[in-house]
Amino acid sequence: MLGVKKNNLNNFLEKISSGYQLFVPAEVEGTTRFTAYQAGVQLALERNTVVPPKELFFPQTEHMYCYKAHKQEAAVEEIAAACEPRVLFGARPCDVQSLAVLDDVFLTKGYEDLFYKNKRENTLVIALGCRKPEPTCFCSSLGVDPSGTELADVMAWDAGEALVFEAKSDKGKKFLEENSAQLEDLAGVTQPTAECTMVLQVEGLTAKLQKMFEHSLWNEICKKCLNCGTCTYLCPTCHCFDIQGKTRGESGVKFRCWDSCMYQEYTLMAGGHNPRPSKKERVRQRFLHKLQYIPERYGKWGCVGCGRCVVKCPVNVDITRIIKQIGEVSLDA
Amino acid sequence: MPNQALAEQGTVMNPLIPVVGKIIKIVEETPDVKTFHVTTENGKPFTPLPGQLAMVSMLPIGEAMFSITSQGENHLEFAIKKVGMLTEALHEAAVGQQIGIRGPYGNGFPIEICKGKDLLFIGGGIGLAPVRSLINYCIANRQDFGKLHVIYGARSPQDLCFKDDLFENWPKVMDMQVDVTVDKGDENWSGNVGFVPAFLEQINPSPEGKVAITCGPPIMIKFVLQSLAKMGYTPEQIITTLEMRMKCGIGKCGRCNIGSCYVCLDGPVFTLAQLNQMPNEY
Ligand SMILES: Cc1cc2nc3c(=O)[nH]c(=O)nc-3n(C[C@H](O)[C@H](O)[C@H](O)COP(=O)(O)OP(=O)(O)OC[C@H]3O[C@@H](n4cnc5c(N)ncnc54)[C@H](O)[C@@H]3O)c2cc1C
Ligand code: SF4
Ligand code: SF4
Ligand code: FES
Repeated sequence: MLGVKKNNLNNFLEKISSGYQLFVPAEVEGTTRFTAYQAGVQLALERNTVVPPKELFFPQTEHMYCYKAHKQEAAVEEIAAACEPRVLFGARPCDVQSLAVLDDVFLTKGYEDLFYKNKRENTLVIALGCRKPEPTCFCSSLGVDPSGTELADVMAWDAGEALVFEAKSDKGKKFLEENSAQLEDLAGVTQPTAECTMVLQVEGLTAKLQKMFEHSLWNEICKKCLNCGTCTYLCPTCHCFDIQGKTRGESGVKFRCWDSCMYQEYTLMAGGHNPRPSKKERVRQRFLHKLQYIPERYGKWGCVGCGRCVVKCPVNVDITRIIKQIGEVSLDA
Repeated sequence: MPNQALAEQGTVMNPLIPVVGKIIKIVEETPDVKTFHVTTENGKPFTPLPGQLAMVSMLPIGEAMFSITSQGENHLEFAIKKVGMLTEALHEAAVGQQIGIRGPYGNGFPIEICKGKDLLFIGGGIGLAPVRSLINYCIANRQDFGKLHVIYGARSPQDLCFKDDLFENWPKVMDMQVDVTVDKGDENWSGNVGFVPAFLEQINPSPEGKVAITCGPPIMIKFVLQSLAKMGYTPEQIITTLEMRMKCGIGKCGRCNIGSCYVCLDGPVFTLAQLNQMPNEY
């Protein structure tokens, strides 16, 4: 297979970064996330990143337009959503699947979100197959293959001494051709495969949840949740946002920023009415959104099984345990 | 096709960015409701369907969703109740004020279901605002619809919105009946006194060949729905509009879902039959 020896990897990335803006998984300020490649960057290729690549397409805060207001006059100026050609290197199959979920949200149903679209269309995705899924990974139960994905432009695998590549799209093929000088034919090296150790039963889950809106399970599940929002910020598929402004004197900028259905303010309306007044409704919304509403609306799971929320929830609210609990509920009772 | 829905109705390319509009007329409806006529440099900002919505903003204060209560050749109309920061700022604005506007959003009323039928409009307070866009559409296309009947109520005579329509314009329309009630009368009020649902049952319009369209405060809607059921209306014959907190208006920000339905995109207009299929979370 075509590949790069690991001791040559930095040269390879260096070369790519001369033609594209390149994002790589790296150690950054005590965590791991995707960051712009530069000399000396601490690559983090062993395990998936703590922060998902979602922020490259849907940043935590994103300016949308500037405005001026003077007496009765107002002016609005769009901040162009333009984006340079980029390469995202090393996204895991679950996170590549999360882009498919975000694509459905931001690019379908009549309206296209141009801020997202520009970044998405200008980004070539090189996925990295997992070698050893974590104990908290369950993507294979949700239709994702941790060894590889067809949804990336290029698939890469860690084959021990080398990284090997395979094009998955025309764009990916062109990219590998462009960079063929950097690639060597590594005879005898093959792509490794991997499997999640955790297996969940999800067949019929959506249909069952359709009948469980009023079920007492939600009262139990919500009890320990702090409504801190950590799970939603770290989730690669969560896409809720707020629109806010920063004003200085007579001008300012409107931006959007991540929001979370875990917060009470989120659905609070004029006059004080709140359709999701307590933790129960908010926690239920989060799990039904992932496991019922997105599947109903877009025909795919809203959870990709990355396990981030399982690892990072401060009180151990665990979606895998909840999926099991739902499975155990008997609806006739 | 990209942003087709918007393009067809004549609006800007990026659906999250407002265009600048201008308030050209303000009508004081009640002590806390004003109707604003809005236009842009190029005339009408866009051409909405009855029941559609727009995001209106005062820069820099904020932005919120409002029903487009009516439209003219060159302007859109919004009836806005003073409840918070943005709406207070709008109430303080004078003719000539420039504002931000983006839209149209939402599904609008199902004209096809209404065509050829008698229509019963039941509104309370500011809830007449969305319904009025359909009433005016029916009047403009009078031959497409059967009898029009409006039953409307407010807390007091001075809280009645659109008094010109209620007492002057609409009663003159062929085959159109308008019945008005108030919760509490005053010395000049000679009309009915009582809540909308009771008034509705008293008038008792038959469900035969009819579609009922209702909008108002949640508590009124709740009892109107009970009254309609008692009078023999089926869930397919009843249309209402919902309100949820909104930010984007285009089904992206996740704010306004009820189950897998986004009110800003799939609503705000639903039949009762559709609502009965949705989780009870609004
Ligand atoms: C589909 C739809 C149609 C509407 N049509 C009309 C109309 O025709 N006329 C009219 O007067 N009002 C209408 N509203 C309500 C209007 O959007 C709110 O009254 C407005 O957002 C209040 O804004 P504010 O800045 O003045 O209040 P704020 O000072 O922002 O807030 C006061 C309270 O309102 C809440 N709030 C903020 N945004 C919304 C929102 N979009 N919906 C509900 N509550 C909100 C806040 O959480 C706060 O509790 C409609 C709302 C929706 C969703
Ligand atoms: S991370 Fe845990 S505690 Fe925080 S909102 Fe999510 S489920 Fe609740
Ligand atoms: S819900 Fe949890 S496990 Fe599922 S995709 Fe989001 S963060 Fe990952
Ligand atoms: S307002 Fe954003 S999804 Fe409806």
